[in-house]
Amino acid sequence: MKIGSMLGDLLKSLFKRPVTQMYPFKKTPTPERLRGRLFWDPEKCVGCQLCIKDCPANAIELVVLDKVNKRFVMRYHADRCTRCAQCVISCRFKCMNMSNEVWEEAAANKQPFEVYYGKDEDVGFLLEQAARPESDGACAEE
Amino acid sequence: MSISLPPWFVLLFFPGGLFLMASGLVYQWVDRKLVARFQNRVGPRFLQPLADLIKSLAKEEIVPKGVHTFLFQALPIIALASALTSALYTPLFGLQPFFTFKGDLIVTLYMLSGLTLCIGLAGANTVQSFSMIGAVRTLTQLFSYEAPFLLALLGPAIAAQSWQITRINEFAGDNLWMIVAQPIGFIVALIGLMGKLELPPFDAPEAETEIVAGALTEYSGRGYALFHLAKDVELVIGLILVASFYLGGLNNPLEFVLKTFSLLLVIALFQTLFARLRIDQTVGLWWRVGAILALLQMVVILIGRYVSPLLTGG
Amino acid sequence: MTDQSGVNKFVVPIGPQHPALKEPGHFDFTVDGEIVTGASIRLGYVHRGIEKGAEDRTWTQNIYLMERICGICSHVHASSYALGVENLADLVSPPRSKAIRQIMAELERIHSHMLWLGVAAHEGGFDALFMYSWRDRETVMDLLEKVSGNRVHYSANVLGGVKFDITPELADEIRMGLDILEERNRHYLNIIMNDETLIARTRGIGTMSKETVERLGAVGPTARASGSERDLRLDAPYCLYKEFPVKLVNHSAGDLHARFIVRTEEVIESIRNIRLVLDNMPEGELTVRVPRRIPAGEVYSRVEAPRGELFYFIVSGGGEKPERVKVRTPSLCNWGTITAVAVGHKLADMPMILAGIDPCFSCNDRLVTVRRNHHEPQVWSWEQLRRYGVEYYK
Repeated sequence: MKIGSMLGDLLKSLFKRPVTQMYPFKKTPTPERLRGRLFWDPEKCVGCQLCIKDCPANAIELVVLDKVNKRFVMRYHADRCTRCAQCVISCRFKCMNMSNEVWEEAAANKQPFEVYYGKDEDVGFLLEQAARPESDGACAEE
Repeated sequence: MSISLPPWFVLLFFPGGLFLMASGLVYQWVDRKLVARFQNRVGPRFLQPLADLIKSLAKEEIVPKGVHTFLFQALPIIALASALTSALYTPLFGLQPFFTFKGDLIVTLYMLSGLTLCIGLAGANTVQSFSMIGAVRTLTQLFSYEAPFLLALLGPAIAAQSWQITRINEFAGDNLWMIVAQPIGFIVALIGLMGKLELPPFDAPEAETEIVAGALTEYSGRGYALFHLAKDVELVIGLILVASFYLGGLNNPLEFVLKTFSLLLVIALFQTLFARLRIDQTVGLWWRVGAILALLQMVVILIGRYVSPLLTGG
Repeated sequence: MTDQSGVNKFVVPIGPQHPALKEPGHFDFTVDGEIVTGASIRLGYVHRGIEKGAEDRTWTQNIYLMERICGICSHVHASSYALGVENLADLVSPPRSKAIRQIMAELERIHSHMLWLGVAAHEGGFDALFMYSWRDRETVMDLLEKVSGNRVHYSANVLGGVKFDITPELADEIRMGLDILEERNRHYLNIIMNDETLIARTRGIGTMSKETVERLGAVGPTARASGSERDLRLDAPYCLYKEFPVKLVNHSAGDLHARFIVRTEEVIESIRNIRLVLDNMPEGELTVRVPRRIPAGEVYSRVEAPRGELFYFIVSGGGEKPERVKVRTPSLCNWGTITAVAVGHKLADMPMILAGIDPCFSCNDRLVTVRRNHHEPQVWSWEQLRRYGVEYYK
C-alpha cells in the first residue's frame, strides 16, 4: 500500500528530455513497409484490371488507349485510397507498390489528389483529349 | 525590504494590479510546464497563458437563458476584485505590504474564501445540471478544508503573537524556519493550499471527465477569462502566505522568487502523483485526518507557548 | 435541486458530447445529490450502415470495410471475416499465415489494453498514468508499423492468408520491443495493485457477481474480472491457439479494480504468447488461392477481440458479393452491466464504470430488430425511414 507509487517515474522525467517528437522540425525515418502513396509502373501492366476490381474504395481507374499495344493511363484518386495495399497483392505482375517516402499529403485543394500515371506521351494524349470538347465515337474511351 | 510608492500606483500597476495579474500568468505557466515535465511532455510556451487570456477576453460572452443576468456578469468581476484586494496586505514580491493593519490576516483569508464563494454562486446561478453539481462540490470542499487550513496558518500567528501579516513575516524571518518548528502545520497548510486552489487531487469541483467544467461550465468569453485570472492570482497569494509563514519570511525579491517557486515545484509534484479523489473522500480526508493534525499542531504550539515558560520559570 | 414532493428528478446527461466519452453515446443519470438513483442508455450515434454496405461489395472489398468498423479492434474484425469466408469456401489458410494472424491479434490486444489503461486512468483523474501508458503504447504502435505498414488498420488479412511475412530481423525487433513492454507493464501492474489513491477510486466500485455476469451475458475481461471462465481462445481455438495456448486470466473480486488487474495481466500473458509463437513459427507460404465466387452456404465465425467475443454470421448466395454479413460485437453485450450496477454509486464513479467495460461505441451501432410473436417482420423503404426520422425529432 503505497501513496505516490509513480514518484520514481515523475522525478526521473524531470531530468530527462520530453519524449515528444518535435515534428515537423525533427522527423524520424519511416519504416520500410510504410504504406504511403501508390505508384504504378506502366511497363509491366497488361491491363487485366484485377486491381480495380479489388479496390474497396474505387480509387483507381484504368483508361485504355490501346489494348494491343499496352498503352494505358491510370487515374489514381489519392483522396479515396485507404492505403490498404490490396491492389499490390492482386496484381500478378508486380506493377504497383506503396511508397514509404510520400506520406505527408495534406493539401489545400483537391488538385494534387487526382494523379495520372503512365508513359508521358500517353498521359499527354489523354489530357489533351480531355481538354478538347467532347466528340462522339472517335476517341478511345475506358 | 520596503520602498515607497503612491497608493494609486500600487493599486494599478506595481506590485498590485497589472503586475500581480502578470505574475499570476507567470505562475500558471510555471505550474503547467512543471506538470508537463513530470509527465514527460513538453508543456506550453512562455506566452501561452497570456494568449489564452487574450483569446478568452476577445470571445463572445454567451449568457444562458434563465440566469440572473446582472449576477452572471458581476460575479467574475467581484471574484477578481477580491483576489486583487486580498493581495495588498501580503509581502508581494518581497516588499513590505503597502497597506497593513492589525488583523489583516483574517481579512486576506476571508477575501480568498470570498473568491471561492463567488465561484460557487456562479455555478448555482446557472440552471444547468453540471454547474449546479459543481457549485455544490465547490461549497462542500470549502467547508471541509477551511478549518484545517486556517488553523495551520494560525500556528505561525500564535507563535508570532500577532494577526498582522507584516509582523508574522518579520517573526518568521528572524527565527527558526517554521517548517522545522511546526512540521505538521506545514504539511496541513500545503495540502490545504491545494484544496483551496482546487488542484488535483482535490479538483472534484471541476472534474473534467465528470462534470465538464463544474461551476464554470456556462461561462465563456470575458467572464471565463476573469475567473481564471482570479484563480491564478489566488495561486500567487496562497503561495506567498505559506512561503512567508513557513519558509522563513519573504524579505527581498530574490527570496520571494526562490521560495515561492520551490513551493510550486512541490505542489506540481503532488498534482501529478495522485488520482483524483471523490468529493466524499476529500471531505472524509479533511475532516478526519486534516482537522486532527491541525488540532494536534495547535496543542503542541500552545504547550510550547504557555506551558514551557511556566515550567522553566520564565 | 430536489423538489419537495420527494421525487428526486435531477437528471445529469452525459453525452453525446462530453469529455468523459471518446465517442458519442447518451447516458441519463438520475441523481439525488451525488448518489445515482437511475440510469438509462441511448446509443446509435455512430450507425454507418456497414452491414448494408457489405452487401454491395465483393468478398475482397469487404475485408477492408469490416476492418473499419472499429479502429482498435480492426484486425480481429478482418480476421473473423476472413476465417468465415475461408470456411465457406472450404479452405484452410497455411500455418504460417495463421501464426502471423495470431501475432498481429495479440499485438493488437496489447495495444488496445494499454490504450484502455490510459483512458481509464484519465477518467479517474490520474493523468500521470494516462500519459505514461500512452507513451509506452507508442512502442507497440511502432512495432506494428514496422511489421504491417500502418499504426492502426494493419490490413494484414487477405482472403486465404496474410499479406506480409515476418522476417527473422523483424522477429528480433519484435522481441526487443516486447521486452520493453513487459517491463513497463509489470511496473503498471505494480502501480495498480499498490497505489492508494487509485485503489480508493476503484476498489468496491461496480461490483458484479458471477451470477449477474452470466445472467446479463457479459463477455471479455469485464466478465473475467468477476470470475467467469470464458475465453474464446481456450473454448473454441482458432488460428494456432491450440498449439500455442494462452492461460486464462481471471479474478474473483468483480469490481473495477479487478478489471484493471485482469487487463494488465492479459497484456503480460499476450507478450508471453507472442514470444512463444515467434520462437516456433511454422514455415510455408502465406496465402492459399480463394476463388472469386464463394459457394453458397452460411457460416458463423467467432474470435476473441480485446473486448470479448466477436461473432460474425455470413451468408453466401454463391456469387461475388455476400448476401448477408451480421456482426455482433462484444461491447454490445456489456452495456447491460452498467444499468445493473449504476444505482447506488456516486456520480463521480459513473465515468469510471463506463470506462471499466471498455466500450467501443463504433463497434456497437447495429440495427437490432426485436421480433415479437405474431407480428410479421417489417421491411422499411427509404422513404418510410426518412419520414420516421423527421417525425422523431419534432
